[in-house]
Amino acid sequence: MTSMETRRRVGEVIVSHTERVEVQCYELHSPPPLGSLLRIGSPAVYAVVRDIWHEPLDPSRPLAARGADLETEEEIYAQNPQLLSVLTTRFTATVTGYVDGLDIRQGLPSVPPNLHSFVFLCDDAEVASFVRQLQFLRLLMADGSLTADLAMTAFLQRSAATVADRRGFLIRAGRMLAIELAGESQRLYTMLREIAV
Amino acid sequence: MTNNKGNGDGRFAHAAGAPGRQIGVVVGGQLSRGLQVRLDGVGGASVEDVPVGSFVTVQGRRQRFFGVVTDIELRTVDDSLRHFPPTGGDAFLAEVVGGTTAYGVLSVMPGIAVPDGNAYSIQPETSTTIPEHFSPVFTASQADIDAVFNAPQHTALALGAPQAMDGATVRLDLSALASRSVGVFGASGSGKTFLARMLLAGLVKQGEVVSLVFDMQNEYGWQGQDNDRGSQVKGLKQLFPSRVVTFTLDQQSSQRRGMTPDGIVRIGYNEIQPADIEMLRESLGLSAVAAAAAYNLERHFARRSWLGEFMVLGGPDIPDLADAIGVNAAALAALHRRLSAWQRFEFLDDAAGANAARSIVEHLQRGNHVVLEFGQYGRNEAAYVLVSNLLTRRIHEEWVRRKELADGGQGADPRPLVIFIEEAHKFLTPEVASQTIFGTIARELRKYNVTLMIVDQRPSGIDSEVMSQLGTRLTCSLNDDRDMSAVLMGARDSSQLRDVLSRLSSKQQALVFGHAVPMPLVLRPRDYDETFYQEMALPAGPVPAGAPVETEQDRLQREIDELFPPN
Repeated sequence: MTSMETRRRVGEVIVSHTERVEVQCYELHSPPPLGSLLRIGSPAVYAVVRDIWHEPLDPSRPLAARGADLETEEEIYAQNPQLLSVLTTRFTATVTGYVDGLDIRQGLPSVPPNLHSFVFLCDDAEVASFVRQLQFLRLLMADGSLTADLAMTAFLQRSAATVADRRGFLIRAGRMLAIELAGESQRLYTMLREIAV
Repeated sequence: MTNNKGNGDGRFAHAAGAPGRQIGVVVGGQLSRGLQVRLDGVGGASVEDVPVGSFVTVQGRRQRFFGVVTDIELRTVDDSLRHFPPTGGDAFLAEVVGGTTAYGVLSVMPGIAVPDGNAYSIQPETSTTIPEHFSPVFTASQADIDAVFNAPQHTALALGAPQAMDGATVRLDLSALASRSVGVFGASGSGKTFLARMLLAGLVKQGEVVSLVFDMQNEYGWQGQDNDRGSQVKGLKQLFPSRVVTFTLDQQSSQRRGMTPDGIVRIGYNEIQPADIEMLRESLGLSAVAAAAAYNLERHFARRSWLGEFMVLGGPDIPDLADAIGVNAAALAALHRRLSAWQRFEFLDDAAGANAARSIVEHLQRGNHVVLEFGQYGRNEAAYVLVSNLLTRRIHEEWVRRKELADGGQGADPRPLVIFIEEAHKFLTPEVASQTIFGTIARELRKYNVTLMIVDQRPSGIDSEVMSQLGTRLTCSLNDDRDMSAVLMGARDSSQLRDVLSRLSSKQQALVFGHAVPMPLVLRPRDYDETFYQEMALPAGPVPAGAPVETEQDRLQREIDELFPPN
């Protein structure tokens, strides 16, 4: 593994389903941003960050507030260094594609990524290459939640920054959404207004 | 003809393949109601580019279909889009939604189909099925137009450009046109006179038929008026001095307009029959009783001179005459007043026999086209109806006689004759159509080689039976609902055509459908200008094989032979 790859490695898979994975970050409070495209394990599976949260490692030991007498939030961590060991950052990512031989396919892999698969943040070139086709967008919209929609719009904005024709890309993607969301025009409008910014 | 060279079989060479631009796909439809075509908005096709009347092609699985756009509709996938449209000038939203969830749908009436593979080499047929779902739809190209309107070169008349295809040309098959009666309709100022003049010029040039034009407004003979440009255009005589003969009813008017007529028409009183008066009842404003009195007069006076004798009577003689022949005196007086006005008709006199009709028949038999100008009498409805009926009756009798002789093996068939009349609603009304010669000709189809070309602005006034006998109809814009219904009466797909007809521009557009065209089509008639004049120029040398047009030399020889028969 190159040092570059180490730098872009963000965590490991801790729960794995066909359509989504749950990832634990190596570093507390440093997740990849919502809507980032990830490459997971080998053979690689692609996924988009959909929901991020921070929580105790041990769910049976809920957090208690500790800063009542302190001036700053940083002091809480300075005075309780054990927190960095018992707290963690996790996120879910929606599976959008996988590598099949030399090809990148959009859709779901026949088996989900292994547990403890390494999770990498894709660079701009990988993103630009992945979004040449946009069929996977429907996978991102599948659960219909507000978070999923926000993750989608974040993803499109990020991706648009990596392609040569930003507006052309967004219109192409927007039309894809329009077809998927036929009958849900208000949801569509909300998303389109997000990505048009 | 422009741009195209004929190939071996006399038909135009077609650039095979070369379809137009794809504009959408078939998403539904019914043979009786037409196809629904979803426009490919994403691909850049806009409803604004495909006006109603446009010609499109559909590539089915096994056949290629040719159709006409009859309606255009905006649809949305989801009703809420209509309630909450993307507003506020949000160009991005509008661009994304336009063509995807908000899109255009065309109604297309499939007219004809040709099997795939050799689409440009065989005769297209009326489509009896429709293309499959999602068949791609294209705008038509010149090659498509030529494939459908594939008249043999020597009978083709370049008539104009199809809707939304300014550079293209539709060629009308004049042989097919002249083989059945034709109607040219349109509101005043819609361009029907130009269209009719172009058709007549085409017929003269083509030479298969002869025509007799009852030229009410003096528009066809020497020159016509272009009211829009305020200029004069060439009439048939100027275009074809050797093939067109002009007669006039009003010599002075002809001279004032700088025309020297080839003949002057005089009608004898003895040629007018009581049936003519009855037919003119409406234009003369006579009661049924008054009109029927003509029959009593005919019985009372000598059969051949009843009108002349009646007209010279003074007013005081009428009551006695009424008593003598047993008709109502007031009715007879009314008839006398109306008919006395005819003394002002200089073309009516005692002496003339049937010379006018005979002379016209001779010219027609020789292959000349005859234009009869009415001069000032064109403004007199009764004069127009009277003269056109009378002459047509004579000529028709002659054609029937010759045709019957020919059928009996004595002599050749009479030349196919097209009789051209204007303002037909005045004498082909349902009440009198059965009595006039024109009604008879329309009903006979071409049994005796005579057909009609009717030019009219009020087709609703024409007897429906006559209308239904019109093989080909060319209609410019009409304002009245009843006129539109009348024009479309009996036409296949009339409800769709009505949508097209009602959208015709008030000038320079015509809907053509019926016998001479394989499918209905909207076109913009070409300009009647110098280019047209040049195309109408008669060939100097031998004509192409298969074309029945005789050269000027042949013609001269034939006329000499006719005048001085070789022993």
